[in-house]
Amino acid sequence: MLIFSVFKTLTDQQVTVELKNDLSITGTLKSVDQFLNIRLDNIKVLDEARHPHMMAVKNCFIRGSVVRYVQLPPSGVDTQLLEDATRREHVSQAKR
Amino acid sequence: MDTSLAIQEPFDLIRLSLSERVFVKLRGDRELTGVLHAYDGHMNLILSDVEETIMIIDQHEGTTGEQHTIAKRKMDMLFVRGDGVILVSPPSR
Amino acid sequence: MDESPPPPQPSETSPPPPPPQASTGSPTDFLKGVVGKRVVVRLTSGVDYKGILSCLDGYMNIALEQTEEHVNGTVTNRYGDAFIRGNNVLYISAAEPV
Repeated sequence: MLIFSVFKTLTDQQVTVELKNDLSITGTLKSVDQFLNIRLDNIKVLDEARHPHMMAVKNCFIRGSVVRYVQLPPSGVDTQLLEDATRREHVSQAKR
Repeated sequence: MDTSLAIQEPFDLIRLSLSERVFVKLRGDRELTGVLHAYDGHMNLILSDVEETIMIIDQHEGTTGEQHTIAKRKMDMLFVRGDGVILVSPPSR
Repeated sequence: MDESPPPPQPSETSPPPPPPQASTGSPTDFLKGVVGKRVVVRLTSGVDYKGILSCLDGYMNIALEQTEEHVNGTVTNRYGDAFIRGNNVLYISAAEPV
């Protein structure tokens, strides 16, 4: 839930999603859901020469399970806030 | 410093590593080091100041054995999906 | 049907309980017994981690201390502490008497 919230705060910002098949897609984060499925707009594939079939694609939906990494804009992430929220979430899990 | 008394469940080990540099071993012969800022029960991670190391094993015809090529790259702020995580190790204390 | 099947015979004919052995106990009992002991954790990839088992949870997420990573019988890494994500675990083996 915590990481879902992080992604929600990053909507309309530029991210790079690296998939498990090594395809990297940069685009504007339009939306995210609880499975960390991701919708990107104005996309650009990192190595277009290797993925010519992606050249005409302008936006996409990425299933969360195929994601390896998402590179985030550092300015959009408050690391101190994240660490505190992570500790709080951990406590609530332990009490469960 | 003895942390063993403070650890009752494995995730305690990760919690104690928040805001510290950790080593992460991933599927696909990848390793990361970075400063840990967030995690969840799936082991999804958010790290900053990340260096990724990828071990690529080349098979050369006619030569015995295999050669490792190592590729490195840096990323400022990275979300790592938990299903790829094998091992997380805090800095040695 | 008039006749109902005969009731089971009293306990004198049922087999006696097996004698207690050192190896009895559920998997959970085994895991409780090895906490704090030296163990070998083998992952599905074939990599072994040898160290002292700090604790584990229901997903078999594992915390190890003084861990050595063994690949093909040679030590490839050492970690003071290591968290292993449970889905990678093939087995946990006691490396000293429980």
